[in-house]
Amino acid sequence: MGRMDNFSPIDYGELVQEDRIHGSLYIDEDVYNDEMDRIFHKGWAFVGHDSEIPNVGDYVTRMVGKQSVIMMRSKDMKVRVFLNRCQHRGNQLCNEKQGNKRALACPYHGWAYNTEGELKDVPYKGGFDKPLSDFNLEQPRTDDYRGFVWACLAQEGISLLEHLGRATELFDRACDLSPEGELNLTAGWDRHRYLANWKMLPENDTDGYHVNFTHRSFVEAIDSQYGDFVQEEESIEGVVIDWGMGHTEIDFARGYKEPLKWFGVTEAKVPEYVQAMKDAYGDEEAMEKLRVGPPHACIFPNLFLGEMNIVIFQPEAVGGCVQWHTPMFLKGAEQLNYRLLRQSEGAMGPSSFLVADDATIAQLTQRTLEQGQPWCDLSRGMGREVEEPNGNLVSHMTDETNNRGFWKHYKVVMEG
Amino acid sequence: MVTDADEKALTRFVYREARLADESSYDEWEALWDDDAVYWVPRGDGEFDPAKHVSHLYDHRQRIATRIRQLKTGYRYSQIPVSPMRRMISNLEFFDGENEGEFEVQYNFILAELAIQSTHEMNFWVGRTTIKVRGDLDVPRLFYKKIALVDGDEPIPSLSFII
Repeated sequence: MGRMDNFSPIDYGELVQEDRIHGSLYIDEDVYNDEMDRIFHKGWAFVGHDSEIPNVGDYVTRMVGKQSVIMMRSKDMKVRVFLNRCQHRGNQLCNEKQGNKRALACPYHGWAYNTEGELKDVPYKGGFDKPLSDFNLEQPRTDDYRGFVWACLAQEGISLLEHLGRATELFDRACDLSPEGELNLTAGWDRHRYLANWKMLPENDTDGYHVNFTHRSFVEAIDSQYGDFVQEEESIEGVVIDWGMGHTEIDFARGYKEPLKWFGVTEAKVPEYVQAMKDAYGDEEAMEKLRVGPPHACIFPNLFLGEMNIVIFQPEAVGGCVQWHTPMFLKGAEQLNYRLLRQSEGAMGPSSFLVADDATIAQLTQRTLEQGQPWCDLSRGMGREVEEPNGNLVSHMTDETNNRGFWKHYKVVMEG
Repeated sequence: MVTDADEKALTRFVYREARLADESSYDEWEALWDDDAVYWVPRGDGEFDPAKHVSHLYDHRQRIATRIRQLKTGYRYSQIPVSPMRRMISNLEFFDGENEGEFEVQYNFILAELAIQSTHEMNFWVGRTTIKVRGDLDVPRLFYKKIALVDGDEPIPSLSFII
């Protein structure tokens, strides 16, 4: 069962079974190191959004697994991702979270790179005979889908579109809530530290079963769209969906009858937005988009399209991670921003009405798993999930279909 | 012009508010607030605008009431049991407010919070608070409290107690 000792190789096929997973996956440091290598360094990871760096020289620094990277707007307006490491002696190039630079100059010996990552200047050139072009910054494979920029540190492997698979539809649903089809992530990121394993974030964020229990205080104190889901099992219309490739969703829309239910308002409250959507997409399509609303979906491994929030999962250690969030501002609908800010703070982050409690539960789970590693059951709904024509597995909102979807893909990646 | 007597009364208020927060005396703490309340924890000391930037929390009067109501449901797991807390306050500075009869006080604080409901770790919250009050200084009405944490723009643990 699991690992007998710390010397034998980890048997992921044994630890991740169809209906249950082994608790050691959350607390074993060797598992964590494998994950950083196989999931975050060999696969695609979300880095940031192109609206965060609109101007030439704008940059943000982010972590991809254990590697710090710089996402920068180059002079040719392309978004590039560089390893945050000077090619000379390996010093960290950029210490700031964000900013604007005309060049990336290393503080150690002054090597300077342009916004394309090309080494342009080495001080005291006389003693350095090698061609500068051999020392350009390392660029992971980088691609974007609708402004969401991803990087893959391995130069070989599947494309971003192959990684996203059918889940591109979820990005479309989010972006097309903007009358211009674009997002504007300009509010900055709030960061919430969990002393728990990072996988509890994607698991919990698309867990439809816990809402009525972990969030009982929210449901009792606050009137929201989630109130509708606190009812008898047979009357819940929301579903969970395994989109394949580890991408998972709670689809609340199947229970939405009126437009804008997900935003907690009626059409009359935001007339300019409704009109802009009708102008952009035509009346019928606009009203359908406004009924369906944003996705509530985790995109493997580290992105959560959390309704009107964009969320990043950042692993820090086997027992620690950070959940980042920013409100999803819509281009061409700036009048929604104030309400989006307040909703974002209400739902996500350290002081929120929801996630503060999820963090407590995750930390308690981590502590008990460290005391001994039981099997964690994920069989709920195995007998009633249905495969839809596009290949998605769909089941009742309280079922663990999407958690199984995460782990199914995890096993494929971890077994290499 | 803030007189010595004003400073004494304002200091008493600062200490009282801190004790009510330390002891999670929810009703008494909520009763300090005026109707136009702003209770704000921005992401630190930077140039943050609550209309443009996401904050840790930005509550008006009604949301303060919601926050307290949630804490009192008996199911707010991030505060069950409530965090034992004590805060030290110093470096108080007193200012006239924008309007007649209003005062502003700024002070540094260190708050030790025992996360007894989850990790059992002692969290240290450090920063500078700005409060604004009005009315009879024996029973002032609080209408603004901004807490700029030293590490506000870094990852922080759950903050669902009264800070």
